[in-house]
This record gives sequence, structure tokens and C-alpha cells, in this order.
Amino acid sequence: MPRAPSHPAESAGHLVDHHKGYDPRIVFFYFVLAILLLTLAGGLAYQQLFKVGEHANAERVQNQRRIVYPGPRGNIYDRHHRLLVGNRPRFSVRLLLDALRPEIRAEEIRIRRNYRNLDDVDAADLPSAAQRVQIARASVVQRYLDEVNRILGRQERVDTRDLERHFARELLLPYTLLDDLAPAEYARLLERLPVNSPAQVHTSSVRDYPYGSAASHTLGYVGSTDAVELEDFPGDDLKTFKMKGTMGRDGVEKQFDELLQGEAGGAIFRVDPAGNRINPPLAQVYPKQGRNLVLSLDIDLQLAAEGRLAQNEMAGAAVAVDVNTGEVLVLASKPDYDLAAFSPRLSGATAADITARGAWFKRAVQGAYHPGSSFKILTTIAGFHAGAVTPDSTAHCPGFFRVGARAFACHDGHAHGEIDLVMAITKSCNVFFYKHGMDMGPEAIAREARRFHLDRPTGIELPDETRRMIIPDPEWKRRTTKEPWVGGDTANMAIGQGFVDVTPLQMACFAASVARNEVWTQPTILHDPNRPRQRHEPIGLTTEQRAALLQGMEQVTRKPFGTARIFQELLEPLPGLRLAAKTGTAQKPSPRGTINFAWLILFAPVENPQIALAVAIEGDTPGEETGGGRYASPVAHAILKAWLDRKNQVPLNPIRFRSD
Amino acid sequence: MPFKRFDQAHPFVTLGVIVAAWLLLPTAVKTFARATFFELTAPITLATSKVRDLQEYWSLRLHSKNELIEAGRDLARVNASYEVAVQENVELRAEIARLESLLRLPSFSDYRFEHARVARRDFSSWWHRLVIRKGRNFGIPVGAPVVFTGGVVGRVTEVHATTAVVELISSPNVRLAGVVEGDSRPISFQGGNNPTFAPPKGVVELMPLDLIASPNTPKRLVTSGFGGIFPPGLTLGTIVRAELGSDGLFKSGEVRLDERLGSLTEVTVMVPLNLDGAPAAARGR
Repeated sequence: MPRAPSHPAESAGHLVDHHKGYDPRIVFFYFVLAILLLTLAGGLAYQQLFKVGEHANAERVQNQRRIVYPGPRGNIYDRHHRLLVGNRPRFSVRLLLDALRPEIRAEEIRIRRNYRNLDDVDAADLPSAAQRVQIARASVVQRYLDEVNRILGRQERVDTRDLERHFARELLLPYTLLDDLAPAEYARLLERLPVNSPAQVHTSSVRDYPYGSAASHTLGYVGSTDAVELEDFPGDDLKTFKMKGTMGRDGVEKQFDELLQGEAGGAIFRVDPAGNRINPPLAQVYPKQGRNLVLSLDIDLQLAAEGRLAQNEMAGAAVAVDVNTGEVLVLASKPDYDLAAFSPRLSGATAADITARGAWFKRAVQGAYHPGSSFKILTTIAGFHAGAVTPDSTAHCPGFFRVGARAFACHDGHAHGEIDLVMAITKSCNVFFYKHGMDMGPEAIAREARRFHLDRPTGIELPDETRRMIIPDPEWKRRTTKEPWVGGDTANMAIGQGFVDVTPLQMACFAASVARNEVWTQPTILHDPNRPRQRHEPIGLTTEQRAALLQGMEQVTRKPFGTARIFQELLEPLPGLRLAAKTGTAQKPSPRGTINFAWLILFAPVENPQIALAVAIEGDTPGEETGGGRYASPVAHAILKAWLDRKNQVPLNPIRFRSD
Repeated sequence: MPFKRFDQAHPFVTLGVIVAAWLLLPTAVKTFARATFFELTAPITLATSKVRDLQEYWSLRLHSKNELIEAGRDLARVNASYEVAVQENVELRAEIARLESLLRLPSFSDYRFEHARVARRDFSSWWHRLVIRKGRNFGIPVGAPVVFTGGVVGRVTEVHATTAVVELISSPNVRLAGVVEGDSRPISFQGGNNPTFAPPKGVVELMPLDLIASPNTPKRLVTSGFGGIFPPGLTLGTIVRAELGSDGLFKSGEVRLDERLGSLTEVTVMVPLNLDGAPAAARGR
């Protein structure tokens, strides 16, 4: 029981409200509170004073994005600065898949609900969860494509297999709904697609080829690459989006990839919480276009050569070289391919078609063919040096030449009778060269061919030049076939048959070398307006020897009995142009029968050589006479005509600005 | 005193309940609520606009008779010049009709013009909008282009019973395909991030590299007609700056827009006559 107050004053004290200023229990809580506040303040100070850099960096990483994009590749021009390869924008409409996640989820739920509502479907027939997601993705993407179709008036459908592959491998990248839009189409989409739609118009740079398939083997093509690097640009720690770049895969694009490759650009953007970028960028480096390249090709001559090669409807190659500088004016090979088909990527069907047509093969630099009678020029020079042939040498041609038990037929099986060197070249008499070839021996011919560098690649600045050219000799045959050299091998070698294999580019260089009276012409695909005349070891012919050689070569096209008389008989005259030529018709056995290869080497003008060329045509029908005069000469004529046209063009007067 | 504390939290609880109820409401109800909200507030907007008109009327009444006479003379002169322009337009229309007939082209008159008074201007960093005093009652459709004497105003984005909302071209939510006057290559135009009281501006992208624009040599940007919404040739603004874009293929630049966009009182809505089919612009005219 509570004790009753004993005194009134004591009892009155209960009525007074006592305030106790000091209570140990409260102090304890003060202490705890103070500790907590100190901890909070300390933590705050620590975060604000010592970790400020870390937080600023985290905020920066969260709010900023870095974009790296490749620089445009350099342009490629011909020797007269006409654009052969440039860049053009390619417009596409792409879907940002990140923004579709809620839609796809909702669609998947709707699909699941619809299936559940079906009464007559067996549970085993219902799609799995993964299948439902696939259906939902295709459905949502098709919905956006339908919107684009409505705007453009198209009827495109989503390729579900391609879509699934994209989701599996490239989820972070936008999905391309439609590619290669026309300017009017992208303008229409720009205006009609909402600004915040997941479907957006996108621009990329692709290679542009104003001349289509012209010089396709020489120019080459590009492929895409992820190796786009931007040096000395901040923000390595930021989330970086890299656009795909391009890399040369063939031809000049591959050979000079480093030079043509542009310098990458980049930008750092601040983004809003939804990830949308806020302009202007915080930092930006503009991409720089790669260096331009000026090739030695003359596109007029190239088109003329390719056009005439195409008319033959046979595989072949044509090469023209500037005699003095070695710059390649024409490097044509048929069949070829349309370079536009490689932009942005080559389809499987097109690749299969190119393979089926044999169009990957660059006949000008990779085709190692028997040169046939065009090789007789080299045999003649070898004979001069070996002393087996003189300008007055003769031979009796009964229409064949017997080596041991084997009879080698003359050109077309004709009997030329008593024939001298000049006429032997003009009429391409095999017997003359069989006889004198046997006299000088294979080593002399091989030695001379090596002097002219016919046993090795020319070293032109192109990838994939073949190394399969062959200048045989007895040692080579013993090493390669384990068989001894026989007389028939020498006879064949003397007329460019047997084991001899050279490329059209080599033969064009050979013609240029003969034209300059030197043993070597270094070809180049690059143009330099100040390139000096090439100087190499002279062939070493006497005046009489050279005169006889040139007379024979000139008569090939001028005389009615010359093997390239088609120049006088059927083709348009080339006024004032003296040609020195040699045709060839090489035979190559094949499982289907013997196939002919038509050759022509030529240089002009005889008195001051400036252009040299070689044409090789592959016969396609066994047993058919595919003669050099008939098939190769028109191609050479087309090149020469284009060359003359350009030469005769009146140069434009340069514009002179007044200095004052 | 837990009960007392709960009483103090009552407003917050109520707010929470309302928010939860809104979140749980069916989408259709929410859509309906949003749509009706604008209709409910529309009379207030219209009334405010009309009161403002009345206010202007009474302020004009304060002008002296001499001022009114001078204004009347000025107006007569302007009317006279407009009458001449109208005559010229009539002749030009006749010539266009003759050429269309001669070349067997479809008629260019694919729009009727609906003049509307601006009821409210709504400018923020996120959008630039006008509310006009005509809506479904005048057959105005969503997406219709809106113009004024200075060129393009924007596009109708919402239509209500008696009002419509026009998104201005200064808004970042508007994107158009324009062309530089005299050129035919389309350029992307988009409204910029415009602060409320700053002069309106936009941005251009995908501008061909050979086009040059600077403050000293500005280029007039007009509608291309490719998009199918705006007819070609309407002024969008003036490109005053163009620099090499981030991809190296195109230029990006800045467009100065007409400053009157911020103080418009009258606009014209171009109502397509054939709403089902594409207008002439869409047919590549």
C-alpha cells in the first residue's frame, strides 16, 4: 500500500511540478544520439571530402555515354581524277530493341492468355515459353514494320529467322527493318515516324562505285570490322557504343587499307534518365576522311577494254602499260562482278553466282597462261644474244618440223617455204622458231626470259599476284617432274608452249620493255604526274637486230599476210599510229579437248613508244580456233582507239585568276 | 498517443489510397479520364481567351478617335495591297489550273484553310504548344499542318471538341523533312531544346556537305513535300550555321525560327480535303 503523507507540507509537495535537470538515463541517450550524429556527420564528411572524386566519377559514368564512329574512307581516283570509288550515305530504318521489352512482355502475356482460352487444343500442342517469346518478338517487330509499310506503301515481312539470330547475337544493336531507302522514302519516314518511336531512320556510309563493275578486280571491295579505335580521346571508362567500320578485303582497298582508312571520330554525350542523349556533346572529335588515292588507271581505256572483252563472251584479260613510266593504264579481267553488290554486304546468292561464273579469278594478274607465239619475240632476242639468229637468218618451212620421231606442225599447218626472220615474225612461222630454238637450246631462252623477269611476279602493288609463272629449263623439269628434258620441250618452249606460263601483266611489261629496248618494266598501279622514265639494263641488240625485230612486229598488223591483219581489214583505222605487235594462239589440253588461248602483245607508236599492252582470251570450246588475231586484236584496238581519242583531246585552258 | 499520430498522417494515407486506386484503375478508365479532363478544362481556356479578347477590345476603346482614324487609313492601305495580291492569286490559280489541265496533273488544291485564334500558349523546355479555338467542330484532324504568314507553325497533335493542340516546330518533338531553297535533297529538321523566353531555334541534320550556311550566308529552309504532310515550299526557318556532322557524311546545323512563333494570335490549319488519300505533297508534287 502506498504510504500516506504524514505532514501537510509533505503532502503539499506532491502538488508541485518538480523538474529534474539531470537524469543519467537521458544522458545515456544523449550520448548515443551524439555518437549517431557524429557518425552521420563523419560519414557525410568522409563522402563529401574524401570520396568526392569517386562519386563525381560514378555520376559521370552514369550520366555520360561515349560514341565512337569510323572516319570515311578515302576516295580512289583514276589518273585524270575521275572518281572510281567514293562514299555515299545509306539510309535504313532500324528498331531499337531495348525500347521494345515491355511491349514484347505484354504481347507474350496476351499470347499465353489466348492459348489458355482455347478449349480444343491439347496441352502438348501449346507452344513453350521460349516459343511464345519468339512469337511475341516477331509480332511486335512486324507491328512496327507494318507502320513503316503503311508510310512507304510497301508490303515487307519480318524475316523471323534473321530476327531470332539478331536477338541471340546482337541484342544490343538496333535491328534493321528496311535497308537502302531512297531519299524520298527516308524523308517520308523522318516526317511521319514519331520522334520518340523505337523505329528510327539511320544513316551509314557505304562505298560507292560510279562505274559499277569497272576495274572491280583491281579496286577490290571492303568488309565490315569492329576494330574502330579512337586514340587520345577521354572517356575510356564510359559506356561506349562503337559503330562498325570497314576494312579493305581485296584489291587496292586491301593493299592500301592503312592509307585509305579514315581516322575515327567520337563524342561524349550527357544522357537523360531514359538514356536519350542531350545535345550538344560534352566533348567531340570529328572523324577525318582517309587519304585519297590516285591510280594510274585511265577509266576510259579501262571501260573500252572491258566493253570489248565482254563482247567476246569469253573469259580474258587485257593490260595496258605506259611504256616510259610503267604505270598501268588498263588492268581488265572478265568475267568480273559488280562492286555495288558488296555494299553493304554480299548476299549468298550473288557470291554463289560469282563463284559459278569463275569471276573471282583475276586473270590479269593471276592467270598463268602459255603465251604461245607472242613468246617468239623473246625467242628472237634470245637467238640474237646466243648467235643462233641474225637479221638475215632463214629457215625452210614445209609445214612441220620433225624432232626425233615427232612432227611439230607450223602455224595453221601452212607450209611457208623459205622464210626469213621478219616474215617468220609477221606470219608467225613456228618452224623458223623450232629450228632456231633447237639451235640455241632451252637454257639460252630461259636465261633471256629471266633477264626480262618473266620467271617471277612483277611486284605490282596488288594482293594475290600469282607466283605460278614458269620459265622452264632442263633443271626445272628434272626437279619438278623427275623426267629428263627432251628436244620436243625445247621446240615447244621456243614458241611459248609446253611448260611456259606467264601472266597478261607480265607480257604487257615485256612489250613495254621491248618498246624501250630495256629488259625490265616495273609496273605500278599508282599515278604520279612527275614519275620519271624508267631506266633499266638495255636489251643489247644491234641496230640491225632491233630494226628486223620491229619490222616483223610492225608487219603483223600492216601486211595482208600479217597475223593481226584484222587491224587493216575489219577494224576502224587508227590514223597515224604505227603498231608493233605479235599475236599468239596457245593450246592447252583439257579433259574436254584442246582449248585455244588467244594472245596479242603490242606497243605503239613504233617510232616513239608510249603505250604497251597485252590481251589474253580464254577459248571456251575445245577444238575451236580462238586465234589471237581474231579475238585479241579487237580488244587491243578498242584500247588504242580510246587512248588516241584521249591523246587527241584539246586540253582545256586553265582558268587564270587575276592576282590583283 | 498512437491514435493522434494516425490522425496527423491521415492526409498522407488518403493520398496514398488515391494513388493506389489510380494505379489499379483499368487503362480504359484512365484514358477516358485524361481525355475528359481536357474537355472539362477547355471552357475555362476558351473563356480566358475570350476575356483576353474583351480586355484588348476595351483597351483599344481607350485610343483617341484620331488614332483610330489613322489606324483605319493604314488598314485601308494594307487592304488595298491585299486586294491586289488576291487578284494576282486568282490569276495564278487560273494559270495553275490551266497547266494542270494541260499536263493532266491532279489538282493541287488538296487543302482547305481553317483560320483559328490562339487560345493559349504553352512553352516549356519539353514542349512548345498552342491551343487553338477550333477542334472537331470545324473538322480539324490530327496531323494537319498549321501555318502562318511567316511559314510553318507546327502540326496538330490533339483534337478536342472545340479546341485543338498544335505542337510548334520549335518543339523537340517535331521533326520534318526540309530542303534548302533551290535544292532538292531532303534534310532532317527538328525543333531544338528551347528555353522558355529564348528566341526559338531548331537543328538540321543530314545536310549535304556541299551546302554552306553561316550567319553571313544563311540559307532558307523550306518544307520538302516528301513527307506527305506539308506541301513543299513553306518556310521553316533560316539555317545560320552548318558544321561537319559526327559521321563525316553530312553537316549538322542550327536553324533560326521566326520569333513571332512565340506571340501568335491567329494561325491557319491546312485541312486535307481527302483525308483517306495522301495529299499532293505525298504524291511527290
